[in-house]
Amino acid sequence: MLAFLTARQTGLDDPLRLRRAESTRRVLSLKLNPDRDVDRVHGNGVNTIDIEAVEGRYMLSGGADGVIVIYDLENYSGKPQYTCKAVCTVGRSSRYVHKFSVETVQWYPYDTGMFVTSSFDKTMKVWDTEMLKPAEVFEFEGNVYSHHLSPIARKHSLIAVGTKNPKIQLCDLKSGSRIHVLQGHRAEVLSVQWSPRYEHILATASADSKVKVWDVRRASGSLFTLDQHNGDKSKASSEAVHTAHNGRVNGLCFTGDGLYLLTTGTDDRMRLWNSANGENTLVNYGKVCNESRKRQQLTVSRGCSPEFVFVPCGSSVAVYALHTGELVTMLRGHYNNVDCCAFHPDYQELYSGGKDCNILAWVPVLRPVDVEEESNKGAAGQSSVNPAFQDTWSSDED
Amino acid sequence: MELSQRDRLSELVEELTTSGQPQLNQDKMKEIKKICKVSNDCIDHVYHSVMSQLSQEHAEVRLSAFQIASELFSRSHHFRMLLVDNFQGFLELTVETDSEQPLPPPKEVARKLRSLAIQTVQSWQASYGTAYKKLALGYHFLKQVKKVDFLDAEARTVAERRREQERRRKMERIYKERVEAATKDMEELYQEIEATLKEMESCMRLLLPDYGFTDFPPVNSSPSDFQPANECPSDDDQPCCSKDVKDDSKQGKKQDREESRNEKKSSERKKKEQDRIETKKNRKISEVKKGKGKKETRSEDEEREAEKTKHWNEEKVKDGQEEEGSNEEEEEAEPCDEDLFIRNSGLVSHSYSLDLDLIPGLHVEETEDNEAVVSTVIDLYRLITTKHLPAVQGWVQVFTKAGAEQQLLRRALDLKRSLEAALQKHKELHIAYKTRVRRVMKASSNSEDDDDNDEDDDFEEVPEKEGYEPHIPEHLRAEYGLDPSPSTSAASVTTKLPAKRPVAPPSQSSYCSSSSSRQLKQLKEEEQDPTCAAATLRVLRQHFPVPSASSSSSSSGPSSSHCSSEMKPVDAPVVPFGLDLYYWGQEQPSAGKIVKAASQHQFWVPIETEEEVENDELRAESSSRYISFPGSFTPVSHYCRAPLGNGKLCQRQDRLKCPFHGRIIPRDQEGRPCSQDDRLREEQEERRKMEEQPDWRDAELMRDIEAATGENLSSDRAGKKGKGKKKKKYPNLSDLKQSANTSRSRLEKKVFNKSTMRKVAQMMSKADRRKHEKFSNQFNYALN
Repeated sequence: MLAFLTARQTGLDDPLRLRRAESTRRVLSLKLNPDRDVDRVHGNGVNTIDIEAVEGRYMLSGGADGVIVIYDLENYSGKPQYTCKAVCTVGRSSRYVHKFSVETVQWYPYDTGMFVTSSFDKTMKVWDTEMLKPAEVFEFEGNVYSHHLSPIARKHSLIAVGTKNPKIQLCDLKSGSRIHVLQGHRAEVLSVQWSPRYEHILATASADSKVKVWDVRRASGSLFTLDQHNGDKSKASSEAVHTAHNGRVNGLCFTGDGLYLLTTGTDDRMRLWNSANGENTLVNYGKVCNESRKRQQLTVSRGCSPEFVFVPCGSSVAVYALHTGELVTMLRGHYNNVDCCAFHPDYQELYSGGKDCNILAWVPVLRPVDVEEESNKGAAGQSSVNPAFQDTWSSDED
Repeated sequence: MELSQRDRLSELVEELTTSGQPQLNQDKMKEIKKICKVSNDCIDHVYHSVMSQLSQEHAEVRLSAFQIASELFSRSHHFRMLLVDNFQGFLELTVETDSEQPLPPPKEVARKLRSLAIQTVQSWQASYGTAYKKLALGYHFLKQVKKVDFLDAEARTVAERRREQERRRKMERIYKERVEAATKDMEELYQEIEATLKEMESCMRLLLPDYGFTDFPPVNSSPSDFQPANECPSDDDQPCCSKDVKDDSKQGKKQDREESRNEKKSSERKKKEQDRIETKKNRKISEVKKGKGKKETRSEDEEREAEKTKHWNEEKVKDGQEEEGSNEEEEEAEPCDEDLFIRNSGLVSHSYSLDLDLIPGLHVEETEDNEAVVSTVIDLYRLITTKHLPAVQGWVQVFTKAGAEQQLLRRALDLKRSLEAALQKHKELHIAYKTRVRRVMKASSNSEDDDDNDEDDDFEEVPEKEGYEPHIPEHLRAEYGLDPSPSTSAASVTTKLPAKRPVAPPSQSSYCSSSSSRQLKQLKEEEQDPTCAAATLRVLRQHFPVPSASSSSSSSGPSSSHCSSEMKPVDAPVVPFGLDLYYWGQEQPSAGKIVKAASQHQFWVPIETEEEVENDELRAESSSRYISFPGSFTPVSHYCRAPLGNGKLCQRQDRLKCPFHGRIIPRDQEGRPCSQDDRLREEQEERRKMEEQPDWRDAELMRDIEAATGENLSSDRAGKKGKGKKKKKYPNLSDLKQSANTSRSRLEKKVFNKSTMRKVAQMMSKADRRKHEKFSNQFNYALN
């Protein structure tokens, strides 16, 4: 750390370098912190969370009972102890609440005044944050598994919607209508994701174990379909041609720079693809438990030098190194399956929500006090420790 | 950490967890703590061994492991860190948070473990919850997601509670159905019961003598008589809730009526009774008088009055009896002149003491007048006790159990109460029933008595038996015109003292006897008639004077048998009857010959059949008799006298062979055999016995004893023999397989045995194949 600082001071290093080193260190030391709490509002499992990109201050969460909550993550109190308060809630008593489980929530990328939610009640709602009223409601024929707004789009304001219907719907916020349909999948579309690099590129994952990449300007069909065997016909059985997984593909995530695409499937695998040509990079992440029949929300860190993937794995969150596939750590804290996780790029914090109704905040542990400092503190430091941390061996064991 | 410590810790944990005890051994636990105190590595090791024990599929192991964990949890921060880190798994193993991983058997221990774990987690949360975030999270998870009620003593989760609720709902449904059925039943039976009750009521009213006295209808009786009639419909309208109250009021009225009636009756009989009172200085009469006086003042309380009333009734009844049975002394004593009384009656003295046994309570006797009513009452009584009351009780039970509407329950209860009241009334009446069987007989005898009486014409006459009947039951003797047996004649003596006779319901025999005197007179007339049984009997008696006496009846049986036993010679042997006795003193022509059945065919007769076969054995049997002569018993006077382990001699007195020491041989003072051979044989035997192990020296038992006492009892030698038996690994744990040893599992083992299955399959395929072979070429079968 000191070396990085001096190098920075002397101007030897790129400013990015120090930043990367520090954020990597922080990501590696993520832990469940007693100082950080998130209000328990959900009475049912938390299906999805999203942190807004503008300020990084507000977090949306959607519950299995249709409840939507907005949390304030910023700690202005100046104390380490902080509970993320629920700023506002669309509860069961609200007129506009989703009837069934909310599957996806997403902030409008450029403004916190708007967010979009979709649910199993076959609707997608565009909400006005101030009023907590839906400004627009899109209705579909089947359950809505997933939707996504392009984070970088400037030329269009399309929402890609994956429903029970194999056709992918494109809804235009400008006109408030469904303007386009992408055909190609054979089963329900579990996850859709816009590329963070090219605004017209869209990736979709379906229960027919295929992942397709589309250019929405091209009406004729998808750009390419990801193939786990990279076109090697000898390895694939006839029905497994052009499949990304040997099961339902329910997780989809671009890396921060949009160069790679991560997919997870119910075959307990996670795969990393080159998003430019659809090549399987064949990174082995080992077994990634995945039993979900719905969309699973995984996320990738941003701003670290080796990037990390956070993927729900049973009742814990697994942290993998993106390119090596090495399992860095398992974040254990949930008492039931984890459905979603979201990475806060500014503070290197991770938020995860699971079926045990909790949203847990994983906060980097502060660097321990240096040895020299501790020596002059001495006994005072000892006494300041929480009494619960002390051993209480009774004397009769001697 | 040293290796020895490590081993010792593993050993201790294993010992503690496999002890099977509900509580931990404190010494061992102390040792663990002592070692753990040394370093965190030890705690690491203990943690891992405890967790591995926790994942064992045995609730006792888990319970003990959990106890160790909770002991250490409160001691060591490091242990807390470790445990809380894997708190989810810990909860799964102890609290059953994952429904797919239920706690292992045995069930009771698992339940105990669960409740203990939940309590412990709560206490941990209270003391460490703020410091260990995951602990708090786990607690909240249990509380909010699993909805564990920490205050609930049983610490049930939602699933369990739901199951409980479901069960309750099911029960409710069943109860509801039952209630509906019962309500329907009640609707149907209600009218019937009402009718029965009403009938019973009116029967009672008819039976009770006060209603019989219509000569002097009481002034106030007519309105009160009408009143119940008016009330009955209203009873029907209301769900009979206030019926009992009305019943009470009716009772009260009845009593009033009785009272008034009694007054009148008393005034009517006053004169007669006055005489009686004068003639008899009886204490009771004065009491009666007093009671009468009180009745006149009407200042007495109800109960005693009622009792008095009953007394009166009784007296009246008895009066009737006296008038019937005795010579109606009282009627004769009516003239007030005392001398005249003496002269007329022929009684010697004025001072008679007449003992009156007054039995409290009403008594109604069945007579010919009220016979029909009484039989109706009996029928009703039977109907109520056997049908209505159980049904009503069943309804009440169903309603109370199901918590049905108050009204239904009240209705059923009221029904029950009124039924019981009716029964109670019936009981209070003390109706003296004649037995029904006798009534039939009596009807027939009565028809002979008074031919002008037409009331019995409705009855079908039972045809009298003609001819000789060797055995006639006691109570039918009179009917058959036989002499009453001595016992009945003794009873007839009592009829001459009717005043002394208790007023208890007359027994069967006494009734017989009362009628027998009259019948005796008739007997002679009957004997003249050749068509009746008595005449036949007379003829029979003349022909066989002796057998008719001996075989007359069971009552004379004992005396006759006594006579015959007296005549028997004392020393004559009693032998069972046999063929030899049958042919006693005769030549046996066909003895020992077996006749073979010839062919019964008309034409075809086998030639070679020998018609008769001689059998010597049979012939001998028919003419001989085996008599076994056992001889007399002589008690054994000698002892076994073999030396025992405690220095004494065996005191058994067997005739030939002692079960412990073999054949009894002469022995000297010390119990040594007298002869040399015997001594040698005994020594040999002893040596042989030493060689072989007695069966009580079970190898395992010996090993246990050795372990306990530390002595070498040469169990190793025995152990070699019992090598085949496998030693159980943890003897203290309750055996899970044992609990699976149910009848079902045993049957399963038999039925699903591989060889059995194979055998059955083989048989079936064979049968199948046979059919196929038989009909393989007949396509006709295939088409049909």
